[in-house]
Amino acid sequence: MENRTIRYAGRLTPYLFLAPYLVLFGVFILLPALYGLWISLHDWDFLLPNRPWVGAQNYTELFTPGSRDFTDFWQSMGATGLFTLFSVPFLVTVPLFVALLLNQKFPGRAFFRAVYFAPYVLGVAVVGVLWRFLLDPQIGLVNDYLGKAIPWIIDVPWVWVSLVGMTVWWTLGFNAIIYLAGLQDIPRELYEAAEVDGATRWQRFLHVTLPGLSPVLLFVLTVTILQSANMFGQSYIVTRGAPANETRTAIMFIAETGLRSFRMGSASAMSYVLGLALLGISALNFRFLRQKEM
Amino acid sequence: MALDGCDRSSTRSGAQGNVITLSFWNGFTGGDGTYIRKLVDDFNKATPHIQVRMNAYMWIDLFQKLAGAVISGQAPDVAVMHVDDIPTNAARSLITPIDEVARALGLEASAYTSRVVWEGGVYRGKRYGIPLDMHPLGMFYNKAVLRKAGLNPDKPPRTGDEYMAVLEELKGKGIQGHWVTPFLFTGRFQFETLLWQFGGELFDPEGTRATFDSEAGVRALTWMVDLVKKGYSPANVSQDADYIALQNGRNAFNWNGIWQINGLKDVPGLEWGAAPVPRIGTQDAVWGNSHQFVLPRQHSVDPARQEAARTFIQWMSQRSLEWLKSAKIPVLKSVAESAEFKSMEAESQFARQSEYIRFPPAVAGIADAMLMVEKAVSQGVLGRASPEEALKAAAAQATQVVQHNRKKYGA
Amino acid sequence: MDTHTEGGGQKGGLGGRLSRYALVALLTWVFVAPLLWMLSTSLKTNFDATRQPLSWIPQPFTARAYSVLLTTESETPVLRWFLNSIFSATANMLLVVATSVLAAYALARLEFPGKKVLFGLIVSTLFIPPFLFLIPNFLIVSGLGWLDSLWAVIVPGAGGAFGVFFMRQFFLSLPRELEEAAFLDGANQWQIFFRVILPLARPGIATLTVLTFLGHYNDFVWPVYVLFSPERFTLPPGLAILQGAYTTDYPVIMAGGVIASIPAIVLFIFAQRHIIEGVSRSGLKG
Repeated sequence: MENRTIRYAGRLTPYLFLAPYLVLFGVFILLPALYGLWISLHDWDFLLPNRPWVGAQNYTELFTPGSRDFTDFWQSMGATGLFTLFSVPFLVTVPLFVALLLNQKFPGRAFFRAVYFAPYVLGVAVVGVLWRFLLDPQIGLVNDYLGKAIPWIIDVPWVWVSLVGMTVWWTLGFNAIIYLAGLQDIPRELYEAAEVDGATRWQRFLHVTLPGLSPVLLFVLTVTILQSANMFGQSYIVTRGAPANETRTAIMFIAETGLRSFRMGSASAMSYVLGLALLGISALNFRFLRQKEM
Repeated sequence: MALDGCDRSSTRSGAQGNVITLSFWNGFTGGDGTYIRKLVDDFNKATPHIQVRMNAYMWIDLFQKLAGAVISGQAPDVAVMHVDDIPTNAARSLITPIDEVARALGLEASAYTSRVVWEGGVYRGKRYGIPLDMHPLGMFYNKAVLRKAGLNPDKPPRTGDEYMAVLEELKGKGIQGHWVTPFLFTGRFQFETLLWQFGGELFDPEGTRATFDSEAGVRALTWMVDLVKKGYSPANVSQDADYIALQNGRNAFNWNGIWQINGLKDVPGLEWGAAPVPRIGTQDAVWGNSHQFVLPRQHSVDPARQEAARTFIQWMSQRSLEWLKSAKIPVLKSVAESAEFKSMEAESQFARQSEYIRFPPAVAGIADAMLMVEKAVSQGVLGRASPEEALKAAAAQATQVVQHNRKKYGA
Repeated sequence: MDTHTEGGGQKGGLGGRLSRYALVALLTWVFVAPLLWMLSTSLKTNFDATRQPLSWIPQPFTARAYSVLLTTESETPVLRWFLNSIFSATANMLLVVATSVLAAYALARLEFPGKKVLFGLIVSTLFIPPFLFLIPNFLIVSGLGWLDSLWAVIVPGAGGAFGVFFMRQFFLSLPRELEEAAFLDGANQWQIFFRVILPLARPGIATLTVLTFLGHYNDFVWPVYVLFSPERFTLPPGLAILQGAYTTDYPVIMAGGVIASIPAIVLFIFAQRHIIEGVSRSGLKG
């Protein structure tokens, strides 16, 4: 691919294209990222005059059993991991299924698209409050329907069902739209050729749709993993970490550490550990899918 | 809730000569906001040369915003915060000492109904807060439910034995009488109340060590857990479900904050009463908190504005009766003994607890350690750990927290 | 209008069509019911909202929740928040689209030293939890004197790598033949970009536009941190005040949700055609 890159631009041209973005990137991403690294090496509270240098201590403490944050941090990383593990399969497949459904011609299609996308538009602040109300064990509509007192937002395993379910409900539209755009990119001739070859519906899906979607799939998978790993609003608003902090995600714990306890050094160190973990997982993810593609 | 259409004098132009405009921040959103706004409006009408502009935020957001405002030199002139937030905010230099104001206003300990509310505004020998009110936990009860169970709706239980007898009676009638939530509202408040009633303490007085895993603590949490085990409470009660169940007649007693009074008044047809929290342990004690006036740190000090802020604080504290209608109890003896306050029935019941209201120790960063208390209560009530185990682990961690805070904020 | 379908026009039997409709109907109910419940609750009295058994029809109907929200005018100017939100989301979106389309094109199509490293650097920041940027950016924004101004919510978010990543992937999927032809016709890089690439990129840009707008419109952490005068609030910090105030007053909380949702839903209804239909009409398939 690289050798086909256009080489006829002026030498400065690429940088001119890049300049406006790079200014923003430099000031609001790169600089804060480095600043965050610097902060993570201190016992840092920007309001205190005394911000002692602690070296790698904020990092080593995270890996030292018995330290103040060890249990809480790894519990929260575990919660994030569990949520990602539970949610990503649904968040990747259910929207694909909905996209396939919506990609067919039927009256009112535009309306249904809007319906499935609507929750995403609401934002987690509204969606969270709404589901907290719907799932309330005592006064919620869901238990009212079921005639049971299931502790949806209080106890395991229900809290996970709730968090994953509401996240699918909330974000399904986003991935479905991306899939829809991808589906419409697949040349029709491929389907026709497959049909001529006598391929069944399932075979066509397997041999035409999926390969045709693979770049989109990779994109969706990567973005979804990142979003799930950064989950915060749902736990913060709906379960409030219940039961006993089991659904307190990494981001939620980091936010508590940084914004409520004002331990910004520790919070930054935790962010970097989480970021590295994500980078690792995503790299594996890319490698795995790339290989499959070949 | 009535649509309080009070006109907020929108014509604030006119003589711009010597008018000082103060900004006043607090966390009084919703119901409380209606009352405080009314007072601020009255103040603005009464003092044409000082105009106050009020902003209300959620408490948790208030501190984040205050940090931004202080470092960018846009700090409000006056603010209100909870007494247990004062040490942290003082240590972080977001608020300044207020001794001079207290002296100028002639305030002294003997005028207050509670020793802790007066001392609560002090951090490291300097006063940072001037008390506006207190808001303790108390016991709400549903009279119709008690009557249905053949109990006297006008004689709520006072002691642990009476309380358990009533709960047993209710249970026989198919009513779970005391719902226990594993959350801050109000599971943790109930635990703190019980801990103090059994003679325990959250921390040692200097705030160097967590002590809530003491025998008193274990008894307190065990008492709560047993309510669930014995069927006096459903398991897995969500936050506020206990309070809503009280309104629906599915719960009989709810130890909740005084702030729920006006909400209950609005429920059509609900017969409810309020009483002090019964003495379950060996002594009287109850969780409470207090709103206090504070002065945020300014980049440059303007004596005229300081004077105006003092006038405002004085005016407001003199009219606390108006404010108490938002369901608070008075801090000044003169107000507590007034006929007007005594005519406020439910609030007066809560005020009977004034002398034994308790706060956490006034050390910076204590809120972080209190999170561990919450964790223990949650684990215990949900049955994920025995009360002993839950408290022991949480207290060990809380000790690490207060130790770190001592290092960070200075011992 | 010719739309490509998964089965290449396969219709299926009557049974298949019926079960498909049943499926769509069920799915639709799952999606619509919570929204209807939000609407219904917002029109109830507080007591009615939690009264057992629950009812879909408010008894009585009341607009109390809405008047609570709309009449606390001077301290909680909902309309003002709404306009601030629309304005800042639009400004942020324009900034993101303009800068990331340019940068993404360079990264997708142009050759220059350090390109791989630069792209790797940009993409790797996608993996840093956004929370990490919060406090440093707060201090940077404070240094710029932007605290409590809409600048603080418009500009910093535009540094995010998502737009660049997204548009680069999009550009990579475009056929090169048109660009090569334009080059052979003597067009320079800028002309190719503006005359050939941009028109082709319309669907990608439309998608990015909507996603950026919505992402910004719904961000509820950063604005709460940097805005403190009610007249400069956007909707999320404004709603936070309202929601915090009415913890068990579900009608008011739900009414706040309804008010915040309307513009976003309307925007989507208008924009969705551009996103999806745009893709199929743009001649992407060459």
